[in-house]
Amino acid sequence: MKVRGKLMRGLAGAVLNLVPVVLIGGFLSAALVRYSPGFDVDENDWNPQISAATRAALHAERESENHLPSFYLNYLRAALHGNFGKSDHYKLPVSELLADRAGATLELVITGTLSGLLFGGVLAWFAVWPRRTILAVAAAGVSGLLLAIPPAVLALEFFQRDAWVEMALALAVVPRVFGSMRAILTEFAASSALLAARARGLGAFALAMRYVFRPALPRLATLAGVALVLAFGLAIPVESLCDVNGVGNLAWHAATARDLPLLCGLALIITSIVAVVQSLASLAGEPTTNP
Amino acid sequence: MIRIRRAAILLLVAIALSGLFAGKLAPYPYDRQDRQAIDAPPDSKFVMGTDDVGRDRFSRLLWATGVSALLAPAAALCSIAIALMVSSLTALGRPALNYSIDGFTTICLSLPWIFLFIILRSELPLGTGAAAVIATTFGLMGVAGWPVPARVFTASIAEIRQSGWLMQARAAGISAPRIAIRYAWPHLRSLAMAQFYILIPAYVLAEASLGLLGLGVPDPIPSWGNLLVDLQHPDIVRANPWVLAPLGLLIIVMICLEILAPQKEVAL
Amino acid sequence: MTTKLSVFCALTLLLAACRPAAQNIVPKQLRFAIPGDPPTFDPLVVNESNAGAIRDLTSGYLLRIDRVTDEPQPDLAESWQVKDGGRAIAFHLLKDLKFSDGSPLTADQVAQTLRRLATDAATTVGDAFREAHPEVSVSSPLDLEVHFRTSVPRLERLFDQFAIAPAKPAKLPGTAGPFFIAEFQPGAFVLLARNPNYWKRPLPRLDSIRIDIQSSHEIELTRFLRGEFQVIDRLEPDFFERIVRNQPGAARDLGASLDSEFLWFNQSDAKTLPDFKRAWFRSATFRHAISAAIHREDIISVVYKGHAHAAAGPISSANHAWFNTALQPLATDPQAALKSLEAEGFALRDKVLRDGTGHPVEFTLITNAGNTARETMLKLIKADLAKIGIDVKTVALDGRSLGTRIGRTLDYEAALQGFSNTDPDPVNEMNVWLSSKDMHFWRPNQPVPDTGWEKRIDELEDKQATEPSREARRKALDEFQQIVRDQEPVIYLVNPDYLVAISPLVKGMQPGVAPPQLWRSVEQISF
Repeated sequence: MKVRGKLMRGLAGAVLNLVPVVLIGGFLSAALVRYSPGFDVDENDWNPQISAATRAALHAERESENHLPSFYLNYLRAALHGNFGKSDHYKLPVSELLADRAGATLELVITGTLSGLLFGGVLAWFAVWPRRTILAVAAAGVSGLLLAIPPAVLALEFFQRDAWVEMALALAVVPRVFGSMRAILTEFAASSALLAARARGLGAFALAMRYVFRPALPRLATLAGVALVLAFGLAIPVESLCDVNGVGNLAWHAATARDLPLLCGLALIITSIVAVVQSLASLAGEPTTNP
Repeated sequence: MIRIRRAAILLLVAIALSGLFAGKLAPYPYDRQDRQAIDAPPDSKFVMGTDDVGRDRFSRLLWATGVSALLAPAAALCSIAIALMVSSLTALGRPALNYSIDGFTTICLSLPWIFLFIILRSELPLGTGAAAVIATTFGLMGVAGWPVPARVFTASIAEIRQSGWLMQARAAGISAPRIAIRYAWPHLRSLAMAQFYILIPAYVLAEASLGLLGLGVPDPIPSWGNLLVDLQHPDIVRANPWVLAPLGLLIIVMICLEILAPQKEVAL
Repeated sequence: MTTKLSVFCALTLLLAACRPAAQNIVPKQLRFAIPGDPPTFDPLVVNESNAGAIRDLTSGYLLRIDRVTDEPQPDLAESWQVKDGGRAIAFHLLKDLKFSDGSPLTADQVAQTLRRLATDAATTVGDAFREAHPEVSVSSPLDLEVHFRTSVPRLERLFDQFAIAPAKPAKLPGTAGPFFIAEFQPGAFVLLARNPNYWKRPLPRLDSIRIDIQSSHEIELTRFLRGEFQVIDRLEPDFFERIVRNQPGAARDLGASLDSEFLWFNQSDAKTLPDFKRAWFRSATFRHAISAAIHREDIISVVYKGHAHAAAGPISSANHAWFNTALQPLATDPQAALKSLEAEGFALRDKVLRDGTGHPVEFTLITNAGNTARETMLKLIKADLAKIGIDVKTVALDGRSLGTRIGRTLDYEAALQGFSNTDPDPVNEMNVWLSSKDMHFWRPNQPVPDTGWEKRIDELEDKQATEPSREARRKALDEFQQIVRDQEPVIYLVNPDYLVAISPLVKGMQPGVAPPQLWRSVEQISF
């Protein structure tokens, strides 16, 4: 009951925390875009066939974006009704653009994260459990190798060979979770409880599940949350280079075009997702004993 | 294992020294162009061939080692230090403070940092010297890269706060700083090292991407990052596999660092 | 392995395996790629190349100017008559015209397009039309007249600049050209299908054209070599060479394009520019010296792999109609450059060039980051100018930051840019050469031209824009080109070649450097 109550309090805290975080995160993101150089410049400014009057008229279409606080307030008001505005660059509703592309990114990121965690866990296992130097060195070597290769280049190689680009993302996630997983496994593998259970003659698999995996689950959950956020960051260059029609690719083009409505929508959604994922991961990793 | 670790240390020292003494070891200046030898394959004159404007790849690799091997770890260290400082505040155990730090970290994770870099570039005068641009780039990467490691440290600190040995230490009247340094830090150290190793190649590669914004290591100064841009063109790699040399060096450095990472937790 | 773990692995693999099926090749369908989504399908607001490619394939015009002969050719208008000394034009349309959606294309629809152009400032293609203050009247379903306040020189050319669009706005509007937009998946592709109501029926020969959205040139090349694409427009030299090696029959160098690469110095009164630097940049001798010190042949061989021509001036030698054939590209002569600078009071000491007041000659040169050709040019120019003691700090910036410095704040010293000429008629660059305009980038918005030569260029530009006689225009433009060459406010470097890849399977394509480059006779293309 105490655990349940703590969980409910944690959940309530996370929800209360979510709203100001999303609002502030969205505003700061919009401010970075609005006040970055080149916001009020576009391709028409370099077209000699377009007169100054026409260029002024085209710039006037984005007049509402110049005053950030009022733009942001109006944007939020509309967003509450599901209207995330119209992209300046694509000339399409932001919600439609995101809905079209979310699937590709979700597939890439989730598959990449889960596979990366799985492979990273297996690699960490080989580095720790058998307690053999050659395996530990080999695992460290594989991790170092994967860490050094640029994820986008890995993805391009996979694409050129008609292999799964998602696996390229997974291989990019592996070294980024390997070290933490190895540290976690090392700690639990050296615990006195495990040593005692081993002395009692418990099998390797039961040892691993009961004295390593289960107690390490909260920290692994946190790591999974971090890995998901990392994977989304890694997905942007992968999508750009391999032309995956996902949200990462959209974000990159929106950034280069200083597309404020689209970037606002992306910021609100990304901040929400990161906040929710981090809250869930924190709750999963919440200690169940009282201090 | 000790012999392997010694070999790793020797390799790292050799790489670091080659970068530090690049001026003496490099056969040519890093910016010397030989326009009769554009994208030339390796030969007796240019052991690793030349790049797109006829500059010796081997010389540029040595100089790049000096730049990246020093600055990327420095930026990574900066991120880890900030992450530890921020996450250590959660050790105080105040819920309101923890929620604030949590929210702040989430916001920092979600911000489009690319625009901060663009704003920074616009504030820097165009004639800013290369050293200042490089220092600013790596400094900003160091400052912007703390949220992810902070997350990992925060979770670990929460775990440590609940551990039996820490309760015993507090009950025994040991001071908080002593607990932090003598007892808690050994538990965090391996995590910190793991995050440090992850950040080094990330910053090497991120520096190259920042070249698209006018930041990064400006041409003609070489860095591993800007040398690795050619990897995006498989044809160039196939024509001259020495293009992979900086990647090879980076891989060797990362493997050595992984081998040298502290493996055991301190037994209590 | 536990059952749960096995299930989890299987799910992971299943998710990863859920990939789109390989794209099949459709007979009588041409496939190529554009680098980004077209921001609009409205032909009246097209102002960039992606939307321009769609417009070139789908639009119908009243008439078209043949880019080779420079003469107007009928299209939707069967005939026309210029009246009243160029103050009016009357069109007689072809009979039974329809848009692809079946709606009639009569004089009324044409009039609606023209009226929209006349009043809506957002229609970027209608600038010149709007400035002539048109009034449209319809006398019959096939006849309409357009009257202007004053006489418009070369009046027909106005009507080559905009397509006729249906009055009803739609997400995928109807078209009057050989194809219509059948499907659009943002970020994926645009599918064009044969227009069943095209006035040149039974053409076009192709059933459809699929235009993939592909920003990565590397992947575009891979897909071309695999046979998924049949055409690549505007290849970079490195990729062109790869096609020459792998599919030599597909690579085509069409010769010098209408495009140009150039650099210029900031001669404006910007406060961020020190006076002594402004004095250098405003000196024609200084600019000539810089121009003479830059090795154009190295730029051609290193940057463009031989696929470029040294530029002689503001008009490309490929523009046979208007290029001044008396002009020759500047020869590289760093020694002569140094001598001319020394005559102006500069001196080379300890490998550093200094001006008469002792300032070392150094400046920053900016260009677009991510443009490989320009970034390589920066490296070459830096090394060339270092040989005469000039220190050039090169900075590559993202496009919009660059645009802010060059167009708004004027906070820069020198810039390297290029123009992609979409029209060979020099009148389209007037906004660059008139000293009062904001696009006069080296010294914009002058209330009165500050120099005699800029005043003369203003006069010549006005003359070539208003002169009906082709010979007189030619004379004015020849003099204009000579002045630009003598003063070099803009240092022209190269005219890159137009490089394309066309699969040997494709028949009937007549590529040329003048727009619409690949799509001149799109209705004749077949396999």
